[in-house]
Amino acid sequence: MARKRQNKSHYHSLRQKWLRRHRIARKRFHEKHKEALDFLIEKFPAKEKLASGAVGLMMMSSLIPTSTVLGAISEKGQDAEAVAQVDRTSELNAELAAVLPGNVRPLNNDEEAKISEVLSRYFNMDVKADIDGLRLNRTYGVIGAEQHLIRFPGDNMNIHLDADDKNNRMIYSSGMAPGRGAWGYFTNSRSEFDDLAREREKWYIAVQTFAAPNYNGRLADYRDLFKFRKMIVVNTQTGQAVVTDIADSGPAIFTGKHLGGSPEVMYELGLANGPRKGPVLYFFVDDVNNEIPLGPIKPMGLPNVNEKN
Amino acid sequence: MKKTKDHFYSRVIGVDEVIVDLDNLNLTSTEKKELSDLAHLNLHTVIVDAVLSELSSADKKIFLELLARDEHEKIWQHLNEKVENIEDKITAAGEQVKKELRQDIKKTQELA
Repeated sequence: MARKRQNKSHYHSLRQKWLRRHRIARKRFHEKHKEALDFLIEKFPAKEKLASGAVGLMMMSSLIPTSTVLGAISEKGQDAEAVAQVDRTSELNAELAAVLPGNVRPLNNDEEAKISEVLSRYFNMDVKADIDGLRLNRTYGVIGAEQHLIRFPGDNMNIHLDADDKNNRMIYSSGMAPGRGAWGYFTNSRSEFDDLAREREKWYIAVQTFAAPNYNGRLADYRDLFKFRKMIVVNTQTGQAVVTDIADSGPAIFTGKHLGGSPEVMYELGLANGPRKGPVLYFFVDDVNNEIPLGPIKPMGLPNVNEKN
Repeated sequence: MKKTKDHFYSRVIGVDEVIVDLDNLNLTSTEKKELSDLAHLNLHTVIVDAVLSELSSADKKIFLELLARDEHEKIWQHLNEKVENIEDKITAAGEQVKKELRQDIKKTQELA
């Protein structure tokens, strides 16, 4: 058993290091070769085609999950098997089910600590219920669908979406909110609009900032904490997860919902159909070096080693 | 060990030594496969970065189109025409990554 634990430790340690190396290299690559990446997106708009070969590896952006990129390295026919072996959604769901209460209610400190540990382990990131003592009113609640947010003066549905999303009926038909997000425009003009602003709007959530504990007493602290703060949102019924950022405030308490997700967030959470709402966990991601991309993410980390051995 | 897909640079650089080092860790085949893929991914990122850094905007586009079509010979022809000693530059960039990955493995062994 000790030997098995040691092997897990080797594997886990190297995996963390090499994923981190790749995240840093990917970020640097993205900054350095933006023009080349834009050319690829224009030339090969279907991301699935990009992911199928060497040029797919080129993308290396948050648009393509690392699992897919990894699959592109291996010989054809073996990719799906290799990726499936590291997608641990079912194990994640089992561990969450053991901690979550039967109904959607605020979690207590013990439950939040356990879930932070589980999410940190499965998603290889530092997941927390609070940052420096500041937190939201809850971490387990019902998410509802929001509209797209206006990103810069003059933004409208004709220019808001890329080709793929325009063909997605749910994402296109959601429309645009009449007002701006909680932090105003994402950029002051269309000419300043960049990938960061695009991703921030695409993967935004609205949270009940106004209901945070002692919100009025620590207004400035909370504003700094919340502004575009990354949060991981996990559909507790399916295990689908998205790294999001806070870009709006709401929904109102009387709605019975506790947070809202952009059309893209709801789609990736598997909540795009029917009532467009459902129970989710939403925890802060402590990403000091800004290495974790926004967008959908798969649980690829280790199951609970103590339970397995 | 499952064979990995060839890339245009596979004839000059690979991660064979890293894979051999991984053998010493007594990993399961799944764990070894995943780490091997990550090693390849890190190598690929650095090599494509190194190549693009040597090319003009127009030549980058030609390179990317050839890369998309997996036309290895034409890639080399293009790179050799546009960049002096490109093979050496690719090898140097790849060797540096390999060195760092192997150091990671060594440190992991020392800590265990």
